[in-house]
Amino acid sequence: MKLERITLENFRQYYGRQRLAFSTDSQQNVTVIHGVNGAGKTSLFLAINWCLYSGEGAANVGELISKEAISRVHNGEAARTTVELTFTHDGERYLVARRLEGVKQPDGSISVSGADDFTMMRTRWDGQAERVNNPVGTMNAILPSNVRTYFLFDGEKIDNFAKPEAGDEVRYAIYHVLKLEVLTRGQRHLEEAAAEYRRELKSASSGELRDLLERDEKARDDREQALTRKEELEREVESTRRQIADIDQRLREMQNARALQQQRERLERDIKQRQAEMDRLVGNIRETATSRFVLIGQPAIERALVILDGKRERGEIPSNIRQQFVHDLIDQMRCICGRPFELGSPEHQRLLALMNSSLPGSLEDDVLDTSAALRPFAERARTLRESLNRDMRQRIELLALIQALEEELDDVSRQLKGSPQEEISRLEKQRQEFRADIESYWLEQGNLDTRLDALSKEIAQLEKQIERAKKDKSRQHLLTRRANLAQRAADAIGEMYQVFADDMRQRIEAKTKEIFKSLIWKDSHFQDIYLGPDYKLEVIDRYGLPARPELSAGERQVLSLSFITAMSRISEEEAPLVMDTPFGRLSSHHRNSITEHLPELADQLVLFVTDEELRDQARQNLEPRIGAEYRLEFDRGTSYTEIVEVG
Amino acid sequence: MLKDRLMELFKEYDPEVQRVISEVLTLEQEHISLERPRVKNLVRQIIDHIVQDESGDQE
Repeated sequence: MKLERITLENFRQYYGRQRLAFSTDSQQNVTVIHGVNGAGKTSLFLAINWCLYSGEGAANVGELISKEAISRVHNGEAARTTVELTFTHDGERYLVARRLEGVKQPDGSISVSGADDFTMMRTRWDGQAERVNNPVGTMNAILPSNVRTYFLFDGEKIDNFAKPEAGDEVRYAIYHVLKLEVLTRGQRHLEEAAAEYRRELKSASSGELRDLLERDEKARDDREQALTRKEELEREVESTRRQIADIDQRLREMQNARALQQQRERLERDIKQRQAEMDRLVGNIRETATSRFVLIGQPAIERALVILDGKRERGEIPSNIRQQFVHDLIDQMRCICGRPFELGSPEHQRLLALMNSSLPGSLEDDVLDTSAALRPFAERARTLRESLNRDMRQRIELLALIQALEEELDDVSRQLKGSPQEEISRLEKQRQEFRADIESYWLEQGNLDTRLDALSKEIAQLEKQIERAKKDKSRQHLLTRRANLAQRAADAIGEMYQVFADDMRQRIEAKTKEIFKSLIWKDSHFQDIYLGPDYKLEVIDRYGLPARPELSAGERQVLSLSFITAMSRISEEEAPLVMDTPFGRLSSHHRNSITEHLPELADQLVLFVTDEELRDQARQNLEPRIGAEYRLEFDRGTSYTEIVEVG
Repeated sequence: MLKDRLMELFKEYDPEVQRVISEVLTLEQEHISLERPRVKNLVRQIIDHIVQDESGDQE
């Protein structure tokens, strides 16, 4: 970040629009802003801070608006202040502006209702300006707000790092400026993300795809085997039937067996016909049975009809007197005979009693409709029951007939088997064997059909489960990868954090020592700088002893300045050093050496100084590096400050 | 830049890990001024996106 220009409008004692251009020259990289105490150095320093980061540094934001500007508006009218800052960073040019508006109150104060308005524009390569959508985030990426105090600081307060108890402040500064905090936060958030992915993974791991696939494979194999066996059995049945047909043919051709064989064929045809009749009958019975809800409901329906018929027979339904008729009589205060009656009279009481015992017309109709609707149900139930009884009787008769025919068939078989002609007997025995084989095949086929049905259902169910598990699996795979990646990244940060922190600490230590030795006039007395793992900044004297407790205020300031500039160098942040009254407490020795070396330690140096701070040798040292110089002139007549360019 | 030096430390790690670290650190830097940044979903978006990209490359 290199500052180019600042424009203030009605900011504190800077009334109207005032502008200051910083030196951007790499050789003459120093901008000096002179001002006596109270002239407005700190206000200008605050303007830079406020424009970039808002809030901090201004106890009352209302005080940021120029009092002169407030005095020139009427009560209820708005007064505002704006600070614009132009800077370059990483090859791009930015214009940021912060604006605050308030309404003047009757007591002369200003009431600021909302937050200040911060905008950032970036100039594109083609010269076109574009608005930056995330100005705060972008500003944090350029120069984070938490490290700004190490780049824009009050020179009189920087000796904190050099105090004996300042270990925490040093650690804090390194932690922030050298991105250790960014690393810590990144690691923590990645670990949290990994843990969250793992939790999601755990809840998504219910489907066991492998197990389901194995079960599916086995079920399909079983089904295939069953189908193959069924086909084999069909072939076996066909083959056995052919063999039986051959035997029948041979028996038909044998004189002693022909009659019995022909009788058997007739019987078999007859049985076949009866079985077809039986199939039809069973179909009828099944159909009747599906209407059995009527049969189940029959007792209730008949009971309801008995109750309703009983009530009608007793004259309770319909009632003799309609409720509406009684209601009308009471309204007219008139008896059934036409005579008027008094309220509370016996006639009145009698009509009220009739009113309670009579039914509303609609209910009476509903009762009659229900009776009419129930009667066909009862009739249908009776018809169904009769039909079912008839079919059941027929079935029993048919079964008996088939059984008798089968007994005749067995008798034929027995006669053939007992034939004195050995060939006939042998053929019949063989025929019986074949029949038994066929029945075994049928039994096995029946079992196979049941098994195939169960397997088909199981496969259909498994297909659904596998589909679900596959979706789970795909999600699990994704979650596993995400969890692993987040954890690996978090672990990598953890592994490298200490390496990086130690490297940074050692580099800062070396750089601080180098700068301190160049700035301190007692360079031969102070031999070394030590920044240990506990982040305590220590100065070692020529006796090899810690010298920090005995450092003078000026020496502490030099040590702090050395540390800050070392951090600035090591952090490689492209940022200016903006220092408010940096030399106020320094003796001429330190002032001279700092002014000699400081311009080399920053890309851009902005110094807010009093005339007393920058004179004689110090002034001479800085002179060749000054690229821009201003004087802040406070006008006692108007109480506002004007920025005047020097030279 | 310090970030370049930092990323140099991770050069031995898988490219996808390096990419996650780089993007997450940029995100954290942008939110560094907030004491409790709400970056959970943004960190997940980075990871999801990188895993998705890697899956696309593998296919």
